[in-house]
Amino acid sequence: MTRLNLTQARMNRRSALTGLLAISASGALAACGNGAGAGQTAAESIDLLRYAKPTKFFSDAEIKALSAIADTIIPTTDTPGAVAAGVPDVIQGLASEWGDDNFRQYWREGLRRVYKSLSGETKFVAMSAQEREAVLGAYDAKVYGGETEDGFYRDMKKTVATAYYMSEPGATEELAYEPVPGEWIGQAPISKYPKTWAT
Amino acid sequence: MADFDFVVVGSGMSGGWVAKELCERGFKVAVVERGRELKPEVDYTDMVDPWQMEHLNMKGPDSYEDYPIQSEVYAFHSYTKQFWVKDADHPYETAPGTRYRWRRGHHTGGRSIMWARQSYRMSEIDFKANATDGYGTPWPVDYAEMAPWYDYAEEFAGVSGDNNDDVEVLPHGGKYQPPHEMTALEKHMKKAIEGQWPTRQMIIGRAANLTQPTEEQLALGRGSCQARDHCFRGCSFGAYFSSMSATLPAAERTGNLTLISDVAVHKLSYDEATNRVTGIEGVNTQTMEPVTITGRAVFLNASAIPSAMILLNSKSAKHPNGLGNSSGHVGHNLLGHVGGGYANGYFEGLQEFHHYGRRPNGFYIPRFRNHTEEGDGYLRGYGFQGSATRAGWGGRVDEAGIGAGYKAEIQKPGGWNIWIGSFGETMPRFENHVALHKTKTDKWGFPIPVMDCRWTDNEINAVKQAAADAHDMLEAAGATVLASNKGKITEAYLSAPGNGIHEMGTIRMGDDPAEAPLNRWNQSHDIPNLFCSDGSFMTSSACQNPSLSYMAFSARAADHAAKLMKDGVI
Repeated sequence: MTRLNLTQARMNRRSALTGLLAISASGALAACGNGAGAGQTAAESIDLLRYAKPTKFFSDAEIKALSAIADTIIPTTDTPGAVAAGVPDVIQGLASEWGDDNFRQYWREGLRRVYKSLSGETKFVAMSAQEREAVLGAYDAKVYGGETEDGFYRDMKKTVATAYYMSEPGATEELAYEPVPGEWIGQAPISKYPKTWAT
Repeated sequence: MADFDFVVVGSGMSGGWVAKELCERGFKVAVVERGRELKPEVDYTDMVDPWQMEHLNMKGPDSYEDYPIQSEVYAFHSYTKQFWVKDADHPYETAPGTRYRWRRGHHTGGRSIMWARQSYRMSEIDFKANATDGYGTPWPVDYAEMAPWYDYAEEFAGVSGDNNDDVEVLPHGGKYQPPHEMTALEKHMKKAIEGQWPTRQMIIGRAANLTQPTEEQLALGRGSCQARDHCFRGCSFGAYFSSMSATLPAAERTGNLTLISDVAVHKLSYDEATNRVTGIEGVNTQTMEPVTITGRAVFLNASAIPSAMILLNSKSAKHPNGLGNSSGHVGHNLLGHVGGGYANGYFEGLQEFHHYGRRPNGFYIPRFRNHTEEGDGYLRGYGFQGSATRAGWGGRVDEAGIGAGYKAEIQKPGGWNIWIGSFGETMPRFENHVALHKTKTDKWGFPIPVMDCRWTDNEINAVKQAAADAHDMLEAAGATVLASNKGKITEAYLSAPGNGIHEMGTIRMGDDPAEAPLNRWNQSHDIPNLFCSDGSFMTSSACQNPSLSYMAFSARAADHAAKLMKDGVI
């Protein structure tokens, strides 16, 4: 028979809490996930949640094509774009560690097909940023205008955008992120909070 | 000499309360929990930032393989799955032609860790429902009897709400912590709905999140809600009520609590000569060793299905139908809540307003059907939960455009989105029940449950009207309805029984021992030192979230049991 007493668990919780409050007091709670105590905890949890063994599914060429498309969907402006935010790595991770073979096949075939339709005499990766924007913009307009049906393109765009807005630059520079808001204000002027919340 | 004064089976919403109340009265209490001991520094994931979430926090194949049933829950994702059971380890069956979805977690605190924190009292209308329409058996208590216990439960747990709201079907004690503010659109909706229907009210939700902690709560290491809305991942601030944040620490500081984790209770030990239960018999789920724990009295707080199964499995020659079951009602009258009527849409105006923080709460439209307005072809009623907030980025990434323009569009807060969804009462019916499987057991040797639960026209007709009401209220508020299920409700359309995650009623209370296993004190009519105060005791379900009622009844039952033990009655 196991007899456990809560004392130990409570003490641990208290010290964890004290640590967090101390970080908060120093004004660095925004970074608490990366901080000493809490950072290790988060990293450990993530490790426990890992599903598959990491291998690289997409080839370098495929990643190059994906990167060109992702950075055209979300380019660097006054804030980082998709590539700077690490979006291609996230998608490589999804295909390599998260999805099943159907997922992988869907992405490989889809990516190749979209890339082919974006490339003419000049391959998409060889185009200038302006050319890429014109070509991809026209394709996007056809898909969303109903002229072309392309579920994969929409899935890819959604995934690129999701990976971007969940990235640190996407959440904290492009959007507004408050890890610990501290309070809820139901009715606030938009002038004070003009950006979309990251979460 | 017994090991303990009281053995409490289960550490969740109600078991934590029983342990606290008994420990504070000086009794030695063992809380026997079948799940593992939670460790916040390992199990809570509330400090994980979005970019630390592996694979965009999308449910992977492991979620669907290991958690086919649990992964359907809104609160389930990769950073909360540690709080839900692996379905393969915890099988159950359903009777032919029936459906049931059973959602649960096995660990210290049970579902008090993952609950949605909505905290509402039952009213006199609810306590009189069975007696009035003749379904089920009458409640043995009334609101006046329970009001001080609700006061007590709310004050210790810490519930935020608007003390100025005067709602007949949702009474309160006037001591809520400050309410969450409604958004600009919710304030507009409230005016529009209450203006069009003077018979309806819209209030801010009453949530067990601390907005102004008391000295008592601070002393337990609990802090103020930080408006992160990560509650389903556990709260390192202890800001929402759970057994982990509130009741077990209160019990533990008395020095009278022993938490025994990883022990599944299979039956109660019973002494025929004295007609008393003498403790529990079970198994250590990790080592498979048999476990026996003795106590002078036993509280069942394992939740409605397991508590009934433990009694049914405690068979003997003298009690072939299980212990405490002379009424034949143990396992029967399985209740829950029926969801399903919903509408969502968008609203064009109020673009000058936004909101700050993340509210772990929404608004509530209390029951008006068969109260201030008639219901169409059913008894009892339903309430609505909902929220109206500006759209984030998630719903807007699949829109036309690329490049700097697409980025700039998403950076601006989206328009206003609204949703409301109904939660309705289910009728007490003897036919809806749980039974022990005749041959199959889980891997620890305990019979698996077989659920036999069906919706009737009463639930179906109520959801039909709820769907129409949802649609009409959104339109009345000036919203454009994008989706609703008005006119679409059939039995097949309704989600399965159990999906409301509020199973109850299987060991109901009542004054008539032939009709109810428990008396007005959550005490067995048959066996004086046997108590049950989890959802099993509920004589009717009402339509509001039940946890606050479990808390109030548990505190009251423990107080009564303590008196009986002090007086030498048990």
